[in-house]
Amino acid sequence: MTRALTAVPSGIVVVVLAIFVSLPLYSMVVTAFKTDKEIYDDFTYMPRQPTLIQFQRVIVNDRFFINIRNSLIVASTTTVLAVSMSVLAAFAVVRLRFHGRVWIARIILFKYLLPTTLLYIPLFLVVNSVGLANTLQSLIFTYLSFSIPFATWLLMGYFRGIPPDLEEQAMIDGCSRVGAMVRVLLPVAAPGVVAAAIFTFTGAWNEFLLALVFINRADLQTVPVKLAGMIVGDQYVWGAIMAGAILASLPVVVLYFLAQRFVVSGIAAGAVKG
Amino acid sequence: MAATTSGVSTPAHEQAGPAGRSGALLRQEAWLGWLLLTPVIVVMLGLVVWPFTTAIWIAFTDKAIGREAHWIGLTNFANLIANPRFGLALQHSLVFTVAGLSLKFVLGMGMALVLNQGFRGRNILRAYFLMPWILPGFVAYMTWRWFLDPLQGVLNYALTDLGLIHYPLELLGSATTALPTVIVADTWKSFPFFGLAFLAGLQNIPAELYEAAAVDGATGWQKFRFVTVPGLRHVIIVVLMLGTIFTFNAFEPVYLLTGGGPADATVVYTVLAYETGIVNMRLGESSAVPVMILPILGLYIVALSGLMSRDE
Repeated sequence: MTRALTAVPSGIVVVVLAIFVSLPLYSMVVTAFKTDKEIYDDFTYMPRQPTLIQFQRVIVNDRFFINIRNSLIVASTTTVLAVSMSVLAAFAVVRLRFHGRVWIARIILFKYLLPTTLLYIPLFLVVNSVGLANTLQSLIFTYLSFSIPFATWLLMGYFRGIPPDLEEQAMIDGCSRVGAMVRVLLPVAAPGVVAAAIFTFTGAWNEFLLALVFINRADLQTVPVKLAGMIVGDQYVWGAIMAGAILASLPVVVLYFLAQRFVVSGIAAGAVKG
Repeated sequence: MAATTSGVSTPAHEQAGPAGRSGALLRQEAWLGWLLLTPVIVVMLGLVVWPFTTAIWIAFTDKAIGREAHWIGLTNFANLIANPRFGLALQHSLVFTVAGLSLKFVLGMGMALVLNQGFRGRNILRAYFLMPWILPGFVAYMTWRWFLDPLQGVLNYALTDLGLIHYPLELLGSATTALPTVIVADTWKSFPFFGLAFLAGLQNIPAELYEAAAVDGATGWQKFRFVTVPGLRHVIIVVLMLGTIFTFNAFEPVYLLTGGGPADATVVYTVLAYETGIVNMRLGESSAVPVMILPILGLYIVALSGLMSRDE
């Protein structure tokens, strides 16, 4: 009976949400596969002859692969540095007992919640004063300021959920503390480490404000700043921008769907930004 | 929750004392703990504590790009309070946050309640509804900007085609509709996060509670009111508080959709700070903007981190 009562309202909710979600996505995808003529002069709902010309424009004329390369360097280096440091920190806070660990956990959470909009001006001064202005390194270092608190917080949650018994057993069998972490805890916690790596990578890949403020050389711009900058340049560039938007989305979409299980449990842990 | 068996790995704050363990072992553990934390502590000192204290300090100076800082006391704060744009930006930030959160809550709850029912295609639908949240923010906002374009955007073309409008709608270009439109685009981007978190919460409510309510003759609404809502209370509080922080401090949606315009109709505090500091190069005055907001935001974050730590 409940099923029959809720079927109609549920159907309405599904349809409304599906339309809301679809409209901008539809606009993005069809635009990227249209010719300029069909975008600007002779509007069509569906491209009459789907074309890759817009992708060719963004890749060849706008040299988009340079920006993709910059973003890949920044995001993957940030991920490796942040996740490896965070694994050590989360292990220390969750598994070792010493004074101050509760405070460390609190400070890490506080920083995770503290928005970048409060910190970018002084980070900009710091970057300038150490001579890193206009470098990809400036992005990698400053991205650690938000990715480490986040990854550490996420990993602390995962490590807590794993009973320490196995590690204790390994230590009785002669393993060192760190040996037990590497050989016993990390294999069990692998899904958590993968989730932390994916979130860190996408966070760095998507970051806009710091990349906008720190980099003003075209050949060092990351994908978000490059794409946003294309709006001003030429009015008739929306086809190329939407093609670029699809290229920019591909890595994160693929990563999420490959690791959907881990991502969803990450949300369930209540640790992910909205 | 860690197992509370007594042993080397038991969290210290849950144990009365280091019974049965030698002091040397404990000292060794503390030494190892701080050693493993060193990289993170160094990064946090250099990239959080240093900039954070700098931010507060330069808010009391006339620091500008290419100029040394001089202490000017509360001048920046006095100027901000006297500046009508600051009041306007705060007002917009509040409207953006309250309206945005309400919409995200309603749509997210709808999504969660629907997806919590068993039906075929549920997993595909869940993955599809997550798309806006998975897409990078800059992609989402630029796509919305193009979708709403008054001259060539799909929305205006379709509405004209259907005969619903005769002149193109300048949704982002008119002072009355710009802020609501930015709110809708921001909602599109992040309601799936609310939905996913609520869905996880729903799936933690034991089915027996619904069965018991059914036995007692509860209606659908009563089940929602007396079983679902109390079961979701904690998730709702944490998600709303997290959402408040991230919505209030959002920069991208406004910057990429309208840049704060037309004529300041959408200027929020983050965009005002960016304009003052990066465009006009007055770093001192720019830093004063977030520093004014910091006391309230800081207390809020402390309260939320207390709530989130209790989950453990």
